[in-house]
Amino acid sequence: MKMVTVTVTVNGEPRRASVEARKTLADFLREDCALTGTHLGCEHGVCGACTVLLDGAAVRSCLVFAVQADGADITTIEGIGGPGGELSPVQAAFRDAHGLQCGFCTPGFVVSVTAFLRDNADPTDEEIRDALSGNLCRCTGYQGIINAVRLAARAGVR
Amino acid sequence: MTTSPLQTAGRFVGQSVKRKEDPRLVTGHGRYVDDVTVPGMLHAAFLRSDVARGRITRLDVAAARECSGVHAVLTAADLNDRPAGPMLPSMFADGSQGISAPVRPLADGDVRFVGDPIALVVADSRYVAEDACELIEVEYEPLTAVVDFERAADDTENLVHPELGSNIASTMATPPDAALDEALSRAAHVVTETFYQQRQTPTPMETRGIVAHWDPYAAALRVWMSSQNPHEVRRTCARILGVAESRVRVVQQDVGGGFGQKYFMPRDEMTVVLASHLLGRPVKWIEDRRENLLSSNHARRDRATVTVGVDADGRIVGARIEHLEDSGAYANGGTGGTGMFVAMMFPGPYRIPRLGWSTTAVWTNTCGRGAYRGPWMMETVAREEMMDVVARAIGLDPLEFRRRNVIGRDELPYATASGMVYEHVSPSETLEQAASLIDYDGFRSRQAEARANGRYLGVGLGLYIEPQAGMGALGVEAANVRVEPDGTVNVFVGSGSHGQSLETTVAQVVAEHLGVDIDAVAVHQGDTDVAPFGGGTGGSRSGPILSPAARQAALEVRDKAIRIAAHLMEAAPDDLEIDGGVISVRGTPARSTTLAQVATTAYQQSDLLPPGMEPGLEVISRYKAPPVMYSNACHACTCEVDAATGHVTLTRYVVSEDCGVMINPMVVEGQIAGGVVQGIGGVLYEQIVYDDEGNPLTTTFLDYLVPTAAEVPVIEYGHVETPAATPGGYKGMGEGGAIGSVPAVFNAVADALAPLGARVNRLPLGPSEVLAAIEAAPAR
Amino acid sequence: MKPAPFEYHAPESVDDVAGLLAEHGDEAKPLAGGQSLVPMLALRLTRFAHLVDLNRVAALRGVSRDNGSLTVRAMTTQAAVERDAEVARAVPLLARATPLIGHFQIRNRGTVGGSLAHADPASEYPAVALALDATFELVSKSGTTRVAASDFFEGTWQTCIDAQQALVAVHFPVWGGRCGFACEEVARRAGDFALAGAVAAIEVDDAGAVRRAAVGLFGLGPTPLRAHAAEAELIGEPPPTPDGYRALGQLAMRDADPVDDVHASASYRRRVGAHLVARTLASAVEEARQAHDPPGAARAR
Repeated sequence: MKMVTVTVTVNGEPRRASVEARKTLADFLREDCALTGTHLGCEHGVCGACTVLLDGAAVRSCLVFAVQADGADITTIEGIGGPGGELSPVQAAFRDAHGLQCGFCTPGFVVSVTAFLRDNADPTDEEIRDALSGNLCRCTGYQGIINAVRLAARAGVR
Repeated sequence: MTTSPLQTAGRFVGQSVKRKEDPRLVTGHGRYVDDVTVPGMLHAAFLRSDVARGRITRLDVAAARECSGVHAVLTAADLNDRPAGPMLPSMFADGSQGISAPVRPLADGDVRFVGDPIALVVADSRYVAEDACELIEVEYEPLTAVVDFERAADDTENLVHPELGSNIASTMATPPDAALDEALSRAAHVVTETFYQQRQTPTPMETRGIVAHWDPYAAALRVWMSSQNPHEVRRTCARILGVAESRVRVVQQDVGGGFGQKYFMPRDEMTVVLASHLLGRPVKWIEDRRENLLSSNHARRDRATVTVGVDADGRIVGARIEHLEDSGAYANGGTGGTGMFVAMMFPGPYRIPRLGWSTTAVWTNTCGRGAYRGPWMMETVAREEMMDVVARAIGLDPLEFRRRNVIGRDELPYATASGMVYEHVSPSETLEQAASLIDYDGFRSRQAEARANGRYLGVGLGLYIEPQAGMGALGVEAANVRVEPDGTVNVFVGSGSHGQSLETTVAQVVAEHLGVDIDAVAVHQGDTDVAPFGGGTGGSRSGPILSPAARQAALEVRDKAIRIAAHLMEAAPDDLEIDGGVISVRGTPARSTTLAQVATTAYQQSDLLPPGMEPGLEVISRYKAPPVMYSNACHACTCEVDAATGHVTLTRYVVSEDCGVMINPMVVEGQIAGGVVQGIGGVLYEQIVYDDEGNPLTTTFLDYLVPTAAEVPVIEYGHVETPAATPGGYKGMGEGGAIGSVPAVFNAVADALAPLGARVNRLPLGPSEVLAAIEAAPAR
Repeated sequence: MKPAPFEYHAPESVDDVAGLLAEHGDEAKPLAGGQSLVPMLALRLTRFAHLVDLNRVAALRGVSRDNGSLTVRAMTTQAAVERDAEVARAVPLLARATPLIGHFQIRNRGTVGGSLAHADPASEYPAVALALDATFELVSKSGTTRVAASDFFEGTWQTCIDAQQALVAVHFPVWGGRCGFACEEVARRAGDFALAGAVAAIEVDDAGAVRRAAVGLFGLGPTPLRAHAAEAELIGEPPPTPDGYRALGQLAMRDADPVDDVHASASYRRRVGAHLVARTLASAVEEARQAHDPPGAARAR
């Protein structure tokens, strides 16, 4: 099996591994970087659980091959909060507004919402719902998630 | 948004305490089964049938076995003689619950649905395992598949399970009832309608998965599994391997939803356990989404023909329900027959003096049926949809028709025609609260104005009573409350929380009744080596059965702590109180000790304990629930139907519910919301579709449409609090949101369509179906 | 759900892309944003021995305007199109169709060229390109070819691009004069592929009569379609009445050829297609009549 070397920065730390070209970025993060917060809910780009920031842009890591990210700067759910476990404003809002139950979809939502509020700090309800529509949740009925985004926006995300 | 009487709020119970689970989950530090890595672990993939029914004429795995990185390619020849006991849920394993499908690890000679596992590849990685699956050569002689569940019972030529001799999985009926016939013949109106609910699937965001590690040197099995019920998994593993339960350790960590799909141990997970046992290696299998949609248990797919007689005053005099359900090929949980519950609960919240019923479950060459949040919900779907049909037929508003028939508080206890006895329920109150919150009368006038302007608005109600079974294996839960020497509290429970917030709500109950701060309480579940035997989490049982166990254990520990403190302080036990871990003389706070001091004494200074007292500060308490408990709710929703596109927009959604004493209102409302949106999905979006040959057409998330945030309305809540008679007064409510929402949304759409003359009786109501109904309407 | 093995190539110039495609022919597939190709690989619905990743070819990104047309290079992401003020000014229809594509995470990766080359008949960009008579620029080792949109789409997921060629740019004509544009679709959920959709571009003369009309349909046949009959009916005529728009919607369905699937019946698609054509036409004509500032100066919404 032909291997390729991938060098990336993940949550500020350099990472290097030799992987098959077909390995997805999601599997690379989970298996080669041991960052298991990035979850796989469908592996065909619909559910959004695997969302990460790739050079700042929220993308589905199941639809990017690790080799394509060579040289890139990646932020996963583990890099969203503070190093000592401090919650980011979005993470704190998800907790405060009961924006999660089983927690499986949550990393994808938190990463997506972090990017969304960075680009649109004061969204309307319609914009919030549209922005959230690329992530599936089966537990919450989205009520707590929508409230969490409002709460985080009010808290003044950078 | 919330109207909450909260008559019984305590310091912790009744408060919207923030969840203890969340700090790890929002930061990506939860631990789900796919996060487990064991040294030497191999990865498995199933080869599955792409034919619904057929004989396997050739199966050649030689090329797959040659594939680099492949450790084993297992077929029926390797595994099917290995199970030491039935591959069934424990409560069905002795055969006493009726005939079950003949479950085998892998297809042996024939296949019975698309997705039937034929071979298991075990390899260095999932990538390689899937490569090897492609190298397996299978040829079939296709046979006529039984796909249409309405014709399956009559098909005696094509049998899903030839061993069983019939496609009828189970059938039951009430005996002839002359009094019912008489009541219907004298009724002022008799209305009959047939309703269909489509096939759905639970789709937890985390698919199923297992890591099974048989250690031949220790002769012990360790299993990590995405499950709702770790002790059931342990029992099943011990049974199929023929080993003692004490040699099996099951660990359920964080679980990404289940909704019933993970309540029993599914066949595929058992097969992986058998493979690990054969190979002596840890084997991981993580179901992918296509497998989840193809071969994880499906749900629903029912037909019910309902006849209702009413008198001239609009009061129901009797009813009949004929129910048919599709069990698929391998129903998970015995026959998969929910029909008995459908019949028993059909009267719901109404006075229906006489009831006749029949129910039949049939096998088909499709994915098996399993539990899904409110597995028997066809009783509510058929009844509540019928209430609106009857109301329209006799010219009464659906709300008024319900008012004339709903059981009032002054009639309790009330015994239904099916023999259920309701107490401590409030259907009338929730009906009125929901109608008031949604401004039912105001909506009717706005609706009339809109119709004059060519806009089609509708309102729908869904009123129901939700039973929680406390019978047999489902009726007992345990809690082990242990005060450690420093005064902190560990609680071990046999539940299987997969999103229900039990780490928080059990801690609330224990903190409340033991008298400590909630931060001092840690709740542990899911590890069968340390958790007391329990029934997992499912059937809305953790609230009403586990919570009383935790409450009782906390009270017993508290009592012992007080007795020790009284002895140490030379005070009377009755004069002492515990608050925040401090034990003091009531009214004289200066005279105090701490729970930490008491606990240290209990473990390490046992000579200071009262004479004869057993050392330690720990209690395991088991609570046996009554056979059936009830909660209730009313859903009300409004919608607008775009008559040009068939698109339905839900404009308001209200739930008035009564789950007794709420432990955590935030969690209660979260459970309701999640259920409601699953119900919305069930009416407007979701459907598993097979073609006539039994080929599934909905095997990706592009085809099976789970609602997103853009499709759901704001959900508003009202709470009626009628405490249960059980300790603490808690009731179950995990499933109700998914039950009441289906008829509420359906009825709203049907109400909007009524002035167009369009009638609907089938789910789902996608835009194509709505427009088809409008087009089929008789000319007005 | 893991893709089969492939060899990965990451060329940095268009020449190198052409060279790799020439070398590997049918066994190679250009990889653009991957938002459709990667799922198909993961599901093993398709496979290629070689993937030629276009993401590192800087020359394939960006938008420029010259000589009455807007050039969108193939690897320009949908997110970039969405943010680009020049696109909104010059080709409003492209800008307005973009937010209807998938979700923002998809648009961050998905590209204009990838979407057009994938040629899903239910997606938005192919209908926009067809309605506006865009020109497709294909490059192979033997040179550059320009293909009219009307010749580009050959079937469901099929275009005229051969195995040696890569789509490098799309040229959209910039409409001048008093113009209006509209794009509407009906989808099951936010971000889903359309059950049916329509785009309309209208230019009116000083008297308010329709001078130019283009109607594109998506989700209504095996490829994106033009509603030629409806266009012809409009040109030279004053703005239609509401009944007139409804009749045009019906007329447009003469050019439609929808299918049944699990999401909607063919007859549903026809009925809704007619409705959407009527609505987009009414909206585009109204916008054109309100427009005074040429060229293509539709106001951003």
